[in-house]
Formats: sequence, structure tokens, C-alpha cells
Amino acid sequence: MLDAFSRKAISADSSGAFIGGGELASLKSFIADGNKRLDAVNAISGNAACIVSDAVAGICCENTGLTAPNGGVYTNRKMAACLRDGEIVLRYVSYALLAGDASVLQDRCLNGLRETYAALGVPTGSASRAVAIMKAAAGALITNTNSQPKKAAVTQGDCSSLSGEAGSYFDMVISAIS
Amino acid sequence: MKSVITTVVGAADSASRFPSASDMESVQGSIQRAAARLEAAEKLASNYDGIAQRAVDAVYAQYPNGATGRQPRKCATEGKEKCKRDFVHYLRLINYCLVTGGTGPLDELAINGQKEVYKALSIDAGTYVAGFSNMRNDGCSPRDMSPQALTAYNTLLDYVINSLG
Repeated sequence: MLDAFSRKAISADSSGAFIGGGELASLKSFIADGNKRLDAVNAISGNAACIVSDAVAGICCENTGLTAPNGGVYTNRKMAACLRDGEIVLRYVSYALLAGDASVLQDRCLNGLRETYAALGVPTGSASRAVAIMKAAAGALITNTNSQPKKAAVTQGDCSSLSGEAGSYFDMVISAIS
Repeated sequence: MKSVITTVVGAADSASRFPSASDMESVQGSIQRAAARLEAAEKLASNYDGIAQRAVDAVYAQYPNGATGRQPRKCATEGKEKCKRDFVHYLRLINYCLVTGGTGPLDELAINGQKEVYKALSIDAGTYVAGFSNMRNDGCSPRDMSPQALTAYNTLLDYVINSLG
């Protein structure tokens, strides 16, 4: 598992170079925006249950076949598994956002997920749609532009780059399963 | 690779929970100290050659025949070059450790197996210790870097010295 800092060490080691000025600039901005990043992770982890259940409820509303007999989330057991998986994906995205690097998400969550879902017969289109809804919700919570009623009472700052970074991790999940 | 953030994420993952408030505090603490670490890394990246050269010269002045006298240095030029190459290698890993904020790069890329290698090659670890001790005393604040940065740098030199002892 790597973070934004050790990622630089690994890439510098492959060429035997020291990590100097240019490479350090991006790390300095990581440090400067450290509090924003922690707030962003907090926005996701504090609203995790809400984000996940909204996403799963959303795919069920959009595609009523899912809850019908033989549908993707027919029977409570499958619905519970779907909610659990949504939470797992969101948790690994929050780890990646905290670390500033996708390796934890790739190695521990996405590696082999497509094959697992294929073997279990999970409808990947619906699963991707649920991740896309989580992406939208997380993005809104990070930039504090969510409609209501859980708007955080924080100083307004520009968190669009963090929202974009979180979005890129959700996109990795979508491309890994679809 | 071990750092504060990966340790925190690893612990949260093995408990399958989201990053908690105390995890955030750990990361925040690491970020606060990171500015000094990065300063040390930056200074080291631009000055490593001189640091290594001074250490090599000091080692050869102090131990012309190696620390225990087991290695007569007949080919002094080649020996010196190799000695400096090794010091630069360690300094590069110290640079990575300063960036990462943990000892992961040193542990994984140098210290694991280091004693066995030096024993097999009949290289005396004491000579390295002499060189790193020289670097340890060479750094000066505020001439070279800020006090906090120097502390971070010296801590890693001590870590290497202890690993060779």
C-alpha cells in the first residue's frame, strides 16, 4: 500500500534519483491542503450510511426489475449484500482519498472484483450506476454543495480538486467492474 | 510502504471501519511535521554529493586501513569511489524516508539483509558507522537547514548507524 509520499519514493527509486524540488512541489501542496483533505474524508465517512443507502435505493427506483423476483436485489439477503458492498467500495475510496493514492483501492478492493461479480451474477450495469450515484453524493458533500439537510457548518473553501480526486477513484471502481 | 498514512489506513482496514477521528488526528500530526521533513529532503537532494565526499575523506583520514585493519586499501582510489557510491545510496534512501515520513524505504531497500551482505563480502560495517557518524556531526543548523529539519535528518542517520551496530 502506498500514499502520495511513498508513491514518489517508489518512482524515484526506479531511476535511482533523489527526490528534489519539482517532485516535492506537489507534496507541498498536499500538505498545504491537508486540512481540506481530512475534511473531505470526514464528509464521506460521516455520511457513509446515507450515501450508500441513497445509491442502492436509487438503482432500485430507476430499475424496478431489480426488486422483482429473479432481480439483482430480490430477497433481503441480496439487498443486504448489495448495501454491504456499497459500503466496502465507499470505505476503500475514503482510504484512497486519505492517502492521496489509489493503490489501496486497487490492491485490496478492485483486484479481482469483476471476476467475483461475474461468478456471483451481479448485474454490473446496476452496480456501476450505484457507484456513480455515490460519486455524485460524495462530490456534493466534499464541496458542501449538497442540497440539505446535512450541510456542514464549515468555512467555505475551494475543495473542487479534492472532489475531482474522489471522483477519479469512483471512476476507477466503475471501470473496474463494467 | 510504511508511513503514518499507510499505517492508519491499514489499521482501519483490518477493523473494516471508515477513517475515525483519531485516524484523522494521526494524519494531521504527520502533515504538520511534513514541512520540515520535506525541507530536509530538498536540501539533501541538492547537497548529497558534498556530504558523501566529506564523509569518505573523513573515513579515509581516520582509518586508512579500514576500521578494524582487516582491509588493506591498496587500491585507494577505487575503494574511495565505491565507499562514496554506498554513502550516496544510503543518502538517497534517507531522502526517500524524509519524503515518506517513515523508515520504510531504508528498511525495505537497505537494512533488510544488510549485515549478511557485508559479512559475505568481508566489508567492515564499522567503517560505515564512522562515515555516518561524521555526517551526523557535519550537519549544522541554520547553515544547512532549519533545526526541525536537521532533527528529522539526524534521526534517520542515527537509525542507519544503529542498524549497522
